[in-house]
Amino acid sequence: MKPILRISDLSTRFFTKSGQVNAVESLSMSIDDGEVFGIVGESGSGKSVTARSLIRLIESPGKITAGKIEYRNAEVADEIEDSNPEAVDGDYVDLAALPEDVVRSLRGPSFSMIFQDPESSFNPTLTVGEQIAEAVEVQRRASSNPRSVKSRTSSSAYSLRSYAYGTIMPNRSYVSSESKDRAVELLQQVGIPDPEERVDEYPHEYSGGMLQRAMIAQALAGEPDILVADEPTTALDVTIQAQVLNLLRDIQEETGMTILLITHNLGVIARMCDRVGVMYAGEIVERGTLSNIFDEAVHPYTKGLLGSIPDIGSAGGRLQPIEGNVPSLMDEEMGNRCYFADRCPKAMKTCLEKPADLSVDGAKEHEVQCVLAKEEYDESDALDPGQFEGEDS
Amino acid sequence: MISDRVKQSIRAELRRSLMAKIGIVLVVAIILVATFAPFLATQNPKEQNLSESNIPPVGFTESTEEIQFIDGERQTVTETVGGSLDHPLGTNQLGQDMFSRVVYGARTSLAVGVLGTLIAMLTGVTVGLIAGFYGGRVDDGLMRFADIMLAFPALVLAIALIGLLGPQTIDIPDPFVALGLVDGMPSSFTLPLTVTLVVALVNWVWFARVARGEALTVRERNYVKASRSLGASNPRLMIRHVLPNSLTPIIVLATIQVAVIILLESSLSFLGFSGTNLSWGFDISQGRDLLATSWWIATVPGLAIVLAVIGINLVGDWLRDALDPDIEGEGGGM
Amino acid sequence: MSLKDTLRSAQPESSGPLVEVRNLEKHFYDNDNIIDRLLGNGPVSIRAVDGISFNIHRGETLGLVGESGCGKSTTGETVLRLQEATDGSVQFRGDRVFEMNGDDLSEFRRNAQVVFQDPYTSLDPRVPVGQTVREALDIHNIGTKTERNERVRDLLERVGLSEDQFDRYPSEFSGGQRQRIGIARALALNPDFLVLDEPTSALDVSVQAQILNLLADLQEEFELTYLLISHDLSVIRHICDRVAVMYLGEIAEIADVDTLFESPKHPYTKALLESVPRAETAERDRDIETLQGDVPSPRNPPSGCRFRTRCPEVISPNSMDIDQHVYRELMHFRELVENEEISVHKIAQDAGISESATELDSREQKAFVETVKDEVLDIELPSSHESTVNDAIAHLVDEEWERAATELRSEYESICETSNPQLTDDEQPVACHLYK
Repeated sequence: MKPILRISDLSTRFFTKSGQVNAVESLSMSIDDGEVFGIVGESGSGKSVTARSLIRLIESPGKITAGKIEYRNAEVADEIEDSNPEAVDGDYVDLAALPEDVVRSLRGPSFSMIFQDPESSFNPTLTVGEQIAEAVEVQRRASSNPRSVKSRTSSSAYSLRSYAYGTIMPNRSYVSSESKDRAVELLQQVGIPDPEERVDEYPHEYSGGMLQRAMIAQALAGEPDILVADEPTTALDVTIQAQVLNLLRDIQEETGMTILLITHNLGVIARMCDRVGVMYAGEIVERGTLSNIFDEAVHPYTKGLLGSIPDIGSAGGRLQPIEGNVPSLMDEEMGNRCYFADRCPKAMKTCLEKPADLSVDGAKEHEVQCVLAKEEYDESDALDPGQFEGEDS
Repeated sequence: MISDRVKQSIRAELRRSLMAKIGIVLVVAIILVATFAPFLATQNPKEQNLSESNIPPVGFTESTEEIQFIDGERQTVTETVGGSLDHPLGTNQLGQDMFSRVVYGARTSLAVGVLGTLIAMLTGVTVGLIAGFYGGRVDDGLMRFADIMLAFPALVLAIALIGLLGPQTIDIPDPFVALGLVDGMPSSFTLPLTVTLVVALVNWVWFARVARGEALTVRERNYVKASRSLGASNPRLMIRHVLPNSLTPIIVLATIQVAVIILLESSLSFLGFSGTNLSWGFDISQGRDLLATSWWIATVPGLAIVLAVIGINLVGDWLRDALDPDIEGEGGGM
Repeated sequence: MSLKDTLRSAQPESSGPLVEVRNLEKHFYDNDNIIDRLLGNGPVSIRAVDGISFNIHRGETLGLVGESGCGKSTTGETVLRLQEATDGSVQFRGDRVFEMNGDDLSEFRRNAQVVFQDPYTSLDPRVPVGQTVREALDIHNIGTKTERNERVRDLLERVGLSEDQFDRYPSEFSGGQRQRIGIARALALNPDFLVLDEPTSALDVSVQAQILNLLADLQEEFELTYLLISHDLSVIRHICDRVAVMYLGEIAEIADVDTLFESPKHPYTKALLESVPRAETAERDRDIETLQGDVPSPRNPPSGCRFRTRCPEVISPNSMDIDQHVYRELMHFRELVENEEISVHKIAQDAGISESATELDSREQKAFVETVKDEVLDIELPSSHESTVNDAIAHLVDEEWERAATELRSEYESICETSNPQLTDDEQPVACHLYK
């Protein structure tokens, strides 16, 4: 089966006052239709920027500087063949090459995103129902005229006239009653109790866990092919996290949509994902199935990450932390080497050159960006730990 | 107390912004003019010369028609007076040199503006910090009093207070004249004391409100709690941690308050409450009745006020942008 | 005598627990200002901590675990008297902390310190880190300036920083390094007792491991006693000796760490442990019975046992033959009736009863009852309970809420609603009616 998303050599950079930051560096991966793919990494590893790059939500001073983000959808490919032939390759559309308004029209029916912080993702002056219905409305308009990109993006709901009407006649809601009914259905689907009542409440009347559910409902409004979930449970308590994760699993099973899950929590990855990519310093350093990563990890960073987690099953003992700190990603400090070499307990002289993606034991899906995949650690070749002293200040 | 990072950000913002540069130039110019007024003034600003009254600025001529009876006959005589370099900005109806008056007026405005702001800041920040830091009843009491102060129109309150205190002034000897570096200039500078106190009394509330708001947030920061758990006393916490971390918006407010107070001082002088007759506001009031004939008497000091206020506000904006915590940032977050 | 020795010799010895907390209460008040009082609005009390008791023994680590809003951080701050307690007492080495002042309080402050969660707000951004660490020595006026600086350099090295970072500002450090500075500050006076308030929650997992190891080393080296506050159960398991589980301002269960994790008694502890996703491949197929609903607001906590609204093991009245999920559903239904939260008019419409009808015939009545059950109850009622419920619903037709509620209450009221369980007095104290 052909993957639904094919990313090749994606680079996203930030051009800040203090210099260029390489947040995502030549990243390639592919995601199959209907799978849950997890990206795990620490803060500053570039995992959130990767997620945002996929749906082109990078804002200035950030920019996607290279690479392709190819999304398989024959219908869309057909539709834009004439206007943007360079972005179409068979069934695939290259999102990185599409104009902004076309990408915007794909957000909703093709992609949607849920964020870490549900409180700030809802407008406090509108009811939750209105905000979900609004998402429904946009999709409804789009499907009534699928050929026109414009119909999906410019909605009369935002025109001055409708605003004026709304002000004069407050009962005249700018979402139709069908959309509102659909909003109730969606709230029901994500497990909000008494959705008919709750639909008219404001965000502050919802708890954090319920708002996260409401945000998922909003994301489901367009029945997307791919759901990008960026740290969806980080702000939640552990009992609520369990509820939300179960909900996401149920929805995924029901609708068969593809989920890209970004998190720093290896437990969440283990619970949710089919395949995992481990990110470090803007690159995926190891990828594979759950058991590839949790039981057969090769990259010292993956191992270090697993060794850092205190085990809930047994007390005491010493943790095996990764020494040092996450690198800064500033362009001038990056160089062309294995970025983990300065913290790696098994760094060798060969690590001063950038390692290629190597497959482990010939397994197709288990790939690692580390020389240890093909050679044993040799102490006589060990890298002098003082090698990087100068850079690390 | 100001970290290198903040200094850097102040400099970077200055390089970036043209408006900041204009503001700085204006403010520095006003400070220099006020300080070295005796050297810049072309003549004693208080010296009257009725034979040279109402001369327009350089480059302007002004004709006055007068009906005279010459030899018993009624004739219309047109008298034309042209501006001269002796009085580059003209003279007023008493023949005083407008340029020298504007130069000396800067002293009054700046002295009242800066001194008034300082007094207002000291009072307001003290009250605000105490209210915000201790909270509860103390806060309730102090801030309701501040609200009542705010409810009065500033000018009305100021006039009432001046009425109560009377327009006191202090004469401060001019060091340049005392040292004999310049002659023929006023030997002392008259500071309108009541006005200074009154503008401070009217404006401290703004400082109190800002300081309180900051203190309310800063006192909840963990470093304050940590210090407390180390055994630090309340005054120590306030002076060492709460005050320094509340300063940024207070400094910005102070800059802008200087401009507000200069305007207020001018209004009071204009209304004749100031006790000094050497200030921009006073001159505007003198020129008010002569606007139709001798427009410059009111316009020249008016322009001076406009430039001073614009300059100070631009500096205030610059500081606000430069000290913005976003720019000070923690770094690393993406 | 070096500064280090001066600080050490100040510790008298005594037996018994280092810290004893008894019936500690901390209530916050909303709407408590002049305007509200003038308008006649009474203050709303928020019972953040509502009568908790525990001991902390010398040299041990007691964990305080719970979800956000359960009052665990407030407990930590109140124990240190960083916030004034509403009621109760804390004894430190047998002395009553809330009655201390002057020298006593100063002595207590030297011996009990805190490390905060967020390394970004716990350091004053305008003070160089060396001075931050030295502040305690300055406040208590210990040693000469050279001695103090010497001690600060030692401390910085001890927590894994270099002494030449003395004059740097906090913004130049990463989160993990800042947390090390916070720990150095807390250690400056050589205290006996440290409250660690979520010390690693803001850190990445690899850095968290560094800090946890550091804390373990320091405890051994300086014979420290820790109160560790955390929501992260794996951190708790890793470094605590005993654990207290908090829920809505009360302690649900206290036990030593292995007992608590291996044979938890309280249904909340069980649910909490079950909810944590494990980082292992088997996690995917593990069935998690999640708790229903959210934590109730501490402004308006449930009557009786605080956990009963989410509890999967609510005790049904004696000798009642009822499934737990049916029983819970009926509890929920009764709550709706008690709060008058069922839209009777809408349901009447759905049941096809016209607005104008004043007296319902039996057919209409039946239709109404069925519609209510349809829309409000998610389950099929077993026949043994149907008649009671039907009778109660029938009262709703005439909007006799009170009567319906009373009928349901007399039949279904649980001990978990009427009485708040106290901690049992045995090896594994637990506050639950199941263990009496």
